Amino acid sequence: MTNNQRKIKLRNGNQMIAEGAIYAGCKFFAGYPITPASGIYKGMIDMLPHVGGLAIPAPDEISAIAYCVGASMRGIKSMTATSGPGWSLMVETVQYALITETPLVIAMVQRLGPATGGATQGAQGDILFSEFITSGGYTIPVLYPSNPKECFELTVKAFNWSEKFRIPVVILTDKEIGMTTETVDYTGLKNLTVIDRNTISANSTESNNWQMYEFKSLSDVPRFAPVGGKFKVTATGSAHNKNGELKKNDPETISVLIHLEEKINGHLEEFVDLILDEDKDAKTLIISFGITAKTMKEVIKISRRNNNKVSGLTIRALYPIPESQLKEISKPYERIIIPEENLSGQYRKLVHHLFEGKEVIGINKIGSMINPNEILEKIL
Amino acid sequence: MRHDLSQINIEIECTYMTKGAVMPFCKGCGHTHILRKLDEALIKLNLNPHDVCLVTDIGCIGLADYLFDKVHTVHTTHGRSTAFATGIALADKVLSTKNLKTIVLIGDGGAMIGLLHIVNAALLNTDVTVIVANNFLFGMTGGQQSSFSPLEFITQTSPYGNIIPPLDLCKVAMSSKAQFVARKISTDKDLVDVFADAISYDGFSIVEVLELCTEYAVEKNKLTGKDLQRIAEEHDHHLGILENRKTRSEFSLEYSEKILSNKKTLDLFNNFINAENLEIDFTKKFGKEKLEIIIAGSAGEKVQSSAAILCQVAAQSGFFITQKNDNPVTQGSGFSLSEVIISSEEIFYTGVDNPFAFIIVSSDALNEIISQRLFEKVNKNTIIIYDESLEIPIKTEKMYSLPLRRVCSPNKAALGGIDVLLNLTEPFPLQLFYSEIEKRFGKYDALYKDNLIKILTEKSTK
Repeated sequence: MTNNQRKIKLRNGNQMIAEGAIYAGCKFFAGYPITPASGIYKGMIDMLPHVGGLAIPAPDEISAIAYCVGASMRGIKSMTATSGPGWSLMVETVQYALITETPLVIAMVQRLGPATGGATQGAQGDILFSEFITSGGYTIPVLYPSNPKECFELTVKAFNWSEKFRIPVVILTDKEIGMTTETVDYTGLKNLTVIDRNTISANSTESNNWQMYEFKSLSDVPRFAPVGGKFKVTATGSAHNKNGELKKNDPETISVLIHLEEKINGHLEEFVDLILDEDKDAKTLIISFGITAKTMKEVIKISRRNNNKVSGLTIRALYPIPESQLKEISKPYERIIIPEENLSGQYRKLVHHLFEGKEVIGINKIGSMINPNEILEKIL
Repeated sequence: MRHDLSQINIEIECTYMTKGAVMPFCKGCGHTHILRKLDEALIKLNLNPHDVCLVTDIGCIGLADYLFDKVHTVHTTHGRSTAFATGIALADKVLSTKNLKTIVLIGDGGAMIGLLHIVNAALLNTDVTVIVANNFLFGMTGGQQSSFSPLEFITQTSPYGNIIPPLDLCKVAMSSKAQFVARKISTDKDLVDVFADAISYDGFSIVEVLELCTEYAVEKNKLTGKDLQRIAEEHDHHLGILENRKTRSEFSLEYSEKILSNKKTLDLFNNFINAENLEIDFTKKFGKEKLEIIIAGSAGEKVQSSAAILCQVAAQSGFFITQKNDNPVTQGSGFSLSEVIISSEEIFYTGVDNPFAFIIVSSDALNEIISQRLFEKVNKNTIIIYDESLEIPIKTEKMYSLPLRRVCSPNKAALGGIDVLLNLTEPFPLQLFYSEIEKRFGKYDALYKDNLIKILTEKSTK
């Protein structure tokens, strides 16, 4: 398709996350500026008033995310955005959203760590840090777009997952995706489905037997009732029973804690988002995400032009790890290459065991993007 | 919003508290007073229980949730209750049915952890009431000193007497522009009325209530409830209603009046670029399928926005573009650099490996290019357009030294460089570039003091 048939704008990933959030029906954003995520905050400040929403400056990241959780409890789709240093501060409240089953979307734009690190330098150093932040080791779905258009699509998906399952969802990007402007073709974006949380009807007559966290099967998602509505909300960050009441040494309370993870475990198929670019005769499979997925696509283009065979898999949902799919997809290949812009191959170490009998190669560096040539030389 | 008692679906004795609830506190604890009086205040206000949300913090006072089984309760993480309450209240007042009264119950420990949240709720003037149960120590964890412990106070962690002065929270609230501020003693006869006034106040309100922890404070410090007034006075912490004014509007009113009033139509699927389908073949024209251009200058001199104009015009000509910007942590000093790629095919890798051209307009820019070793990627055909003041340490066959800063002014030097590059190479019709310039800056003639292209031609004839 030539450009004059496309619906083109010039946008970066941050702008497209903001637009995706607006499309998904987000009406509340609390922000605290941080490079390279500030563009999302600015986008929401510019757009939300025009859809009757509220974008508010918070005095720190802890306030920002707590405002969002409060707003979501009132029944409003909410989002905040940050980078590694701010994420460090938000970790407590992400867990609070998880245990209270409050829908929430957090955009996390990676920069070079640790601590203050390199504010204007890209990295994929928070692949583990974005996920493994809960006491108790609960799964937080993490979506990772690899270009501005996917930023829009996957932000909508993040809201849908968060609303449907009443969970916090992370949309992870990096400086290069967040701040690099590209030609974005909007074709198809207008038709994305938007899901809203299953809220108990205000006209329901069941007030006497209303239960805050009602489920039959552990993986069921309880109906939502907003604070301020007709059905009394009992929310707590403490371990609680189905009524939301703090209870110790209580089998029902333990079942609620298991239920929090089973909501995801029981719907694993729904959390899979992979794009396979397959060459049936290839011996090498490259697996990547985010900025490195773009480099991978360049590698595939160059290889095929030179009649070299290679397949590429873009993982758009990093967590829950799509274990059975990775096992299945990798079957025909002898060599698996996983390039990551971090020191230790964070995702590779998590999935390595799925590729038994195969050669698994990591390409890792920090400080600059991985160059296509660095991958090309590793292809069989 | 007031309701007839008859309309409220609560027990006949009209209490917001759980019928027959047993207080979980030690005998004589001030928390019992505070919660009973809060109940009475709610009764006095005659609020629909669905229109009340109690947001409780960690600590003994945070055990209040289950005592109020008709109102919404949100029990939070330590110190954060005011922040969650702020989110609830903002969403209710700006985005929902504006029916809620949001009340925070927090101890002195939580108040200090979440001091920032109290300050900001006060600055926002959102409709939250913060009730601080101040018993001068951490009761739940064994009676450690808090930031509110009086001087000489003996606690588990101040066995020789506290030597750190207590915070005057009410003063902090007042300096945060709070307009309803009170400090009371838990046994005060008018506490119900003060709570009721605070809750019905349309905006942020705070009531600090002094009380004694019977388990950890009384015996060690030989105190009775009668000493509370003396303790406050000794620290110059005034008692009573310290502020009760209404010169500020509640946040949602300010927001509607001053922000939402600017509302315009927002259509995400509008204003697409009108792209021509020019079918220009870069490979035929330049021997490469994509043009990689590095544009560099100093921060604040419109380098990145000039690069954006180039991208806009390239996109109008039907090309794919990427623009990757770089600058130091500070936004207004040092270098500013854009790497632009223009291609007739979709661009995946956004790094520059084989630069088509450099436009370098300041010494900050040149130093950064050297330090990033970008010149190592140059070949003999790379075009280098640079300001006449700079000494470029490499040579190619296409070097153009021009008075970009002098003729164009520093703010348009990068744009001038782009103008020259497009004239030299014509990757797409120049007219598109000039009409974009006119759209943004008015007439092209007004852009620079002199005609760059003329200068360039004159130089080359010499």
